[in-house]
Amino acid sequence: MVAILQAVLSGLALGGVYALVALGFNITHSTTKTFNFGQGEFLVAGAFVAVSGLLLLAGKGITDPLNPDDVTLLRYAGSMVISMVVLGLLGVLLYYTAVRPFVGQAGLAWVMSTIGFGIIIQNVALAVWGPSAVVMPSPLGNDVIRVFGAGILPQEIMVLVASIAVMLCIDVVMRKTKIGKAVRAVAQSMDAATLMGINVSAIVVLAFVVSSSLAGLAGLLIAPITTASVYMGLTLALKAFSAAIVGGLNNPRGCMLGGFLLGLLEALVGLWHAELREISIFMLIILVLALKPEGLLGQRQVEKV
Amino acid sequence: MKFTSRIAQALVAGAAIAAASVCAQDIKIGYNADQSATAVADLGMAGRWGFEAAVEDINKSGGLLGRKLVGVIRDDLGSPPKSIQNMTELIDNEKVIAVIGPANSGNALAWLHIPQQQKIPVIVPIGTATEITLRYAKEPQNYLFRVSMVDREQVALLGAYAVKASKTGKIAIMADTTGYGQGGIKDATDILALHGVKPVAVEKFGPKDTDMTSQLTKIKAAGADVVIIYAIADGAAHTLRSMEKIDYMPIALGTWGNLSSVLPRIAGNKLADHLILAASTTEDSNPRAKSLGERVRKNYPTMTTFACAAQSYDSVMLLAAAIKLAGTTDGEKVAAALEQVKGVQGIIKTYDKPFSKTDHEGLSVSDFYLARWQGPNVVRFQDAVTKAFTPADFKK
Repeated sequence: MVAILQAVLSGLALGGVYALVALGFNITHSTTKTFNFGQGEFLVAGAFVAVSGLLLLAGKGITDPLNPDDVTLLRYAGSMVISMVVLGLLGVLLYYTAVRPFVGQAGLAWVMSTIGFGIIIQNVALAVWGPSAVVMPSPLGNDVIRVFGAGILPQEIMVLVASIAVMLCIDVVMRKTKIGKAVRAVAQSMDAATLMGINVSAIVVLAFVVSSSLAGLAGLLIAPITTASVYMGLTLALKAFSAAIVGGLNNPRGCMLGGFLLGLLEALVGLWHAELREISIFMLIILVLALKPEGLLGQRQVEKV
Repeated sequence: MKFTSRIAQALVAGAAIAAASVCAQDIKIGYNADQSATAVADLGMAGRWGFEAAVEDINKSGGLLGRKLVGVIRDDLGSPPKSIQNMTELIDNEKVIAVIGPANSGNALAWLHIPQQQKIPVIVPIGTATEITLRYAKEPQNYLFRVSMVDREQVALLGAYAVKASKTGKIAIMADTTGYGQGGIKDATDILALHGVKPVAVEKFGPKDTDMTSQLTKIKAAGADVVIIYAIADGAAHTLRSMEKIDYMPIALGTWGNLSSVLPRIAGNKLADHLILAASTTEDSNPRAKSLGERVRKNYPTMTTFACAAQSYDSVMLLAAAIKLAGTTDGEKVAAALEQVKGVQGIIKTYDKPFSKTDHEGLSVSDFYLARWQGPNVVRFQDAVTKAFTPADFKK
């Protein structure tokens, strides 16, 4: 029993990260029908900017090693702001250089251009921070918290809480506020939204800013668990993308569900055969695509002609 | 900081290469190991400065065959393709006559054929995979030598300890899915079989995994009270963290790679102290070691992996002795001479005919012992079990 509870806790913590990144895919996809294939590299940038932010706030150079004393909750919050702002700006840059020129065009030019943008970011990070993994101590310490015999790290709880909070926040904004309605209007039809007096290009830029900041936040949140490494992005982004596909790329709640589902699946299958974790995830995707191509909570796209 | 110092290093290296090519009479030897990327970079860095100290000492005492010895340093970033590229570049462009390296076993296994075909002697000062010196052992001349920990030998030590320390006789193996981990599973299973023990569980994890609770839960359920963790320092650190999570603290045995400071940095001091690891030499073993430690720290103040510096230093000394004995830098003759050298004063010991036609290992299980992290240092580990060891316990 404790074993299963342990797997569930580990799975939820992992799933929270997938869900957070998956949400980033959802936000830009629902507005422009494109998304950033370099989201994983944005996450890397987020983690390293956060490390450097912490070091700057502690009065050190940006590539010095980080000690546990350097990381206080206040500085962590500060570096969260730094990381999200820097990544938000990167999102603007991404939109204008790699997405806007190709939006609405047939073909997949934007896929290549966003991957390329990600590779550029990865290599810049490599030049600045070097290829070795950087350990980021958690601001909450490393003492395991016991829940009915199963253990969880404070940082994992923080990831879980933060991702759920962000998702609820986005859910409310999208459904209740004027700006959220504008985003949904743009998602429905750009032309109609323009006619209704919505500043479509501003909304689209906003979508990329939010999506990229979320990557920054995710990077900051997971760095204390996984260590910040230039190469950590691809696997995470791939799993998050899978989560979005499973849950439904056009539904934020679906992305959340997909993220947690994948995290749980990974942990529970690991309990049985660790080697089968990845296989089971991608089997699930094929299954979902075959039975419900729009994702578990996705809405079927009906083209009205 | 790191970036600018790298540029500076590159410029210095560039200048050194330019200066070296002017005097074609110099004898060049290469050093190729990860000094920046993976969890063994700590080991590669220590090795590099040990290498440079040895080159400096040889030149101070008049060089080799009346010529100056020049070291050419390359960083392979822990990646096999880069390591292969470095080897061909060192041999074909730099015209080195021998190479010391690498740090990652997988990289050595990726390029063993290159020095073997080009007849360039290689002494491995860090990489521990058993196969490195064995793959070409049946050739007329094997060009691969090693002065380092050897997987098979460290498993002999860890296996002996595991069998004696286990109260229930239930031993589990946990390894990463890289070539290193898989080789470790094979070695450990073989050695345990010699003791008449079959592991109760063998679990694997990906090299980038950070949560091993599922695998450890199964090991715990199997009732193991000793776990041999076969992974480099980051994998071992995450395994320890997961052990703490599921509140399962069996005797944990780790490999020599856990000398890297990555272990306490990720796992924290308390958990790092829990791991018992195989070690080869420490700084306090003799006055020569102490003085080398001080010299290396001038260039690399945060060094925790003194063994690699000592092994690199001794590798260069053995190579120099062989070149003197051969009276030439010809690879074939130097390799043959390496199998003959004796009475070479190194840091770790005096090497008296360390290599033979069939045995290319400079160190063996009798040179190794168990150690443990204590705060910022690695210290020798002794308990009732280690004190009761007899040579017959080290089955291999």
